[in-house]
Amino acid sequence: MTESPATKPADGDVCQRVKNGLNLEKNGVLKSLHRCHEQQPKHHCQPEEEEVHAASHHDSQYNRPFLESFEETPMLVAVLTYMGYGILTIFGYLRDFLRHWKIERCHIAREKEEQRDFVPLYQDFENFYTRNLYMRIRDNWNRPICSVPGAKVDLMERTSRDYNWTFEYTGRVVLDVINLGSYNYLGFAENTGPCADSAAEITMKYGVGVASTRQEIGNLDRHEELEKLVAKFLGVESAMVFGMGFATNSMNIPALTGKGCLILSDELNHASLVLGARLSGSTIRVFKHNNMQSLEKLLRDAIVHGQPRTHRPWKKILIVVEGIYSMEGSIVRLPEVIDLKKRYRAYLYLDEAHSIGALGSRGRGVVDYFGLDPCDVDVLMGTFTKSFGAAGGYIAGKWELIEYLRSHSHSAVYATSMSPPVVEQIITSMKCIMGEDGTTIGCDRVRKLAENTVYFRRRLREMGFIIYGNEDSPVVPMMLYMPAKIGAFGREMLKRNIGVVVVGFPATPIIESRARFCISAAHTKEMLDRALSVISEVGDLLQLKYSRRRIQPSLSLPCDDIVFEDIDD
Amino acid sequence: MNVGTAHSEVNPNTRVMNSRGMWLSYILGIGLLHVILLSIPFASVPVVWTLTNLIHNLCMYLLLHTVKGTPFETPDQGKARLLTHWEQMDYGVQFTASRKFLTITPIVLVHICSAITRPVLVFEEESSPKRSKFKLSQL
Repeated sequence: MTESPATKPADGDVCQRVKNGLNLEKNGVLKSLHRCHEQQPKHHCQPEEEEVHAASHHDSQYNRPFLESFEETPMLVAVLTYMGYGILTIFGYLRDFLRHWKIERCHIAREKEEQRDFVPLYQDFENFYTRNLYMRIRDNWNRPICSVPGAKVDLMERTSRDYNWTFEYTGRVVLDVINLGSYNYLGFAENTGPCADSAAEITMKYGVGVASTRQEIGNLDRHEELEKLVAKFLGVESAMVFGMGFATNSMNIPALTGKGCLILSDELNHASLVLGARLSGSTIRVFKHNNMQSLEKLLRDAIVHGQPRTHRPWKKILIVVEGIYSMEGSIVRLPEVIDLKKRYRAYLYLDEAHSIGALGSRGRGVVDYFGLDPCDVDVLMGTFTKSFGAAGGYIAGKWELIEYLRSHSHSAVYATSMSPPVVEQIITSMKCIMGEDGTTIGCDRVRKLAENTVYFRRRLREMGFIIYGNEDSPVVPMMLYMPAKIGAFGREMLKRNIGVVVVGFPATPIIESRARFCISAAHTKEMLDRALSVISEVGDLLQLKYSRRRIQPSLSLPCDDIVFEDIDD
Repeated sequence: MNVGTAHSEVNPNTRVMNSRGMWLSYILGIGLLHVILLSIPFASVPVVWTLTNLIHNLCMYLLLHTVKGTPFETPDQGKARLLTHWEQMDYGVQFTASRKFLTITPIVLVHICSAITRPVLVFEEESSPKRSKFKLSQL
């Protein structure tokens, strides 16, 4: 995404509207198209400015249009961003010089005077970025909240007198900040209602701590019931739950693969998957993000050439992908991955941390979204943190796999099991989503989330912001690009009572810093409208409306009535 | 900002030179330096070009070949701490597009510079007919 697309369409004038099948470019990059728009007028979009990914040549596998777009950085913005980083670097060196010669006070951790001649404990240069860039805008992160992180949240107000090196609390609380940063997709982060009541009840009965691991004496009957429920929810044979979502990945991948196995992981996989892959000791090969040609090439190379020096066949090939990538907002091309997996006899590990509960007509995740069979995915993993308002993770799959994990997973043997109120929260919320509690609350919430997502994304696009990701993903990254705008955006939004999460380098590529919105079913339309008007206002103030595509605002809702127009600027 | 976050890109420094618009910014940076030097009142154009060349080479040498490590903590447990930026680029793969570009730019710059400050051998007659000197004069 940071490089210009290697291919431009052969005919640069029009994005064709093709009903079935599509053009495959010479080296496999797929052209953009929208399906079933016969009566729309022809439009002139500028394909070389963006990469729009649409349905693949396995057209029959996608039962709905797969629209992802990652509009390219405008060149002027990229140059200005580098200029911004250059100026910050020069000033960083200047300040470091002043600090070294004691002209300016140094706040950062230093070695003691008497240990000056020892081997240094701290690498000065490695903290350059933290000292000189991160500290300047540090007040946008680690903000303490003092209420339940629902659709609205209360923040503790804090000020800094020495430019963010230390913070002081004024004692005031900023009330009712619209929360666009919490992973609260279905709105289950609440302190009232059936989930909270059942969790409180179970705390009275079981207490809060379990005081043992699953294998020893920490296996509650609620855990067993939860696991049966999770297996039923996902449509698989068996499931196992763990107390921490990160630990689910990092502790279980080593149990599944080892030396002599191959892990094919996506470029943008989460830290937990990367850590788990590294801990396992397998060979790791990275394929380009969501790029099926790259994955197929790697698979073929792996099978043809075998292990690196001995050329023996690999013991196992495990493809590790995520359902929704939270930094990009893109959804994995699951039908194609499953097709590749079957053709080349590899195993598939699907991490549905963000997509479980958030995608699909019944809220069962990305497998449900594409209408596929959950038995095709060998290992289904997910977390309860995002859509269920709890904590922890699960792994689901065949009965033999889960039985194996019960004795071989580090997390099961050494880590404390999940706490009872958390278990109860998950049980209640999952039953709610499945509709087993007798109400339609779950179903309504899933639908509301989908509506909110489509609405929010459409309005942001119309305003002219650059949004990454799939049209259906509730994670909406909005590009900011310049380092100063990261800080400015976070602060301006907080001034207007909206809390957002901003991310910059090195968590993202150097020019692609972004603000990441997480839409929730708990957001009412008024909240979203207020948020959108504020975002538009701040966007005008900071000049964030970079998009070269303009969508005509349409009052009617169907998402395929979109007309693209050229802008001349 | 997760400074030092673990994702598939172990060392983000390796991709910086490949980013969109970096090459253009680099050229514009040289241009900016040149324009700033041109605004020095007593410097003639050849001197300014020489100075541009020298300062560019010095800065590039310092940034690419002297400073070691990364300005942020990376999850690769210090493998890149002893490597200069040039060595870190593209994880050590040689002859990538960025490396070729960064090799060619100083060469082009020095050729432009010497074309502008072209020394010419001139045979000049001195007043005494017995001796004649070659005099280097600048155009």
